[in-house]
Amino acid sequence: MREIYEISDRFIEAGDANSLLYEPLAGGLTYRHTRRYELDYEGEKTAMEAFVRKTLLDEISQDLHAGEDAALKDYGFALEYGMKPGALDLEKEAILNYYRGISAPGFELKELRIRQRIYLFGGKGDDSGRFVRDICNAAIHQWKVLPGHV
Amino acid sequence: MEERPCALLLKFPGTNCDAETARALEAVGFVTEVLPVSALKPEKLVGVSLVVFSGGFSYGDYVMSGRIASLVTEQKIGETLKDFRENGGYLLGICNGFQILTQLDLLPAGSLVENAGGRFQCQWVKMKNLAPKSPFLSHCPPEFELPIAHAEGRLVTRDATEAAGYVKSGAAALVYVDDVNGSFERIAGLQDETGRVFGLMPHPERFMKARDHYDPDWDGGEGGWGSGYYLFKSLFQAIKEGEAGEP
Repeated sequence: MREIYEISDRFIEAGDANSLLYEPLAGGLTYRHTRRYELDYEGEKTAMEAFVRKTLLDEISQDLHAGEDAALKDYGFALEYGMKPGALDLEKEAILNYYRGISAPGFELKELRIRQRIYLFGGKGDDSGRFVRDICNAAIHQWKVLPGHV
Repeated sequence: MEERPCALLLKFPGTNCDAETARALEAVGFVTEVLPVSALKPEKLVGVSLVVFSGGFSYGDYVMSGRIASLVTEQKIGETLKDFRENGGYLLGICNGFQILTQLDLLPAGSLVENAGGRFQCQWVKMKNLAPKSPFLSHCPPEFELPIAHAEGRLVTRDATEAAGYVKSGAAALVYVDDVNGSFERIAGLQDETGRVFGLMPHPERFMKARDHYDPDWDGGEGGWGSGYYLFKSLFQAIKEGEAGEP
């Protein structure tokens, strides 16, 4: 079975997207960042969800969105990126090490994929290439650009 | 021979302020031990008066700052830290350690999230001491300065009224004089209801001597000590007095 969760920060407002770039763009783009977790598992869904809430979510400052559709709306485009298979993903390793230390988790975590999402708001035209160039590293990252949801 | 209180400093992968914090604690009279979390067991807290979570970037701040460290601590020793507190033990969290303490539910509910400016901030800040009777702050003046160095130091609560309640109840022991990072109610440090658990974002261990101050003419008073010294000294005195009062 597979479940997808996306976590967004409740208190962090959209920031100036130029802070992500080496050279500023005209057009007043802003961005928000989310983390997306895809879990392949067997066993109890409630146990798996409890694990996700305890491990990956901060109930005070974050929102959890379940499902494949985007957690945020009205964006111009979004850049999703993560580590390539085989590249060392330290966040994934830290989560899996913790999972392996749980005596009776109630589910078996078969695979965990972690992706970062940068949602871009405002602006005109397709500037996604600039963000791919300045944020992603072809040696270690996989990425895709998601079309706008306006 | 007089026995000195023992402080145990937990070290996670990515903790990087443990050595200077240990030096600061020793300067005021503690005996210290830095313990890698891999060696942490409930028995390690026997004979310890103070458990310290030092600053750094535990587990690379993955997921969110302090989260993995708090989960691993809980996995290793369960409720032992809560029992330690109930039995009179003291806990101190500095910067990343403060983030870990909030995640461990040892402090009033709150989270430390990205600074309002979205940037890592490394600067000196002035704070108001709102808890002059706190065992951690009793020797500190009403206002004093310490350095901060954090990207995720903005304290938020479920809503703004909860943070205002912390100021009213005394849980907000330290507040910034200026709005430094967007923290609700400008909270820089929190204490629990016993007063024996305290977390703060600024780094007292980085201002032990007057010469650590950015102003070479800064005159902190007697002995050439910095503000951080008085925080650790307060704690040492409180623990010594507590031990002296024990039957």
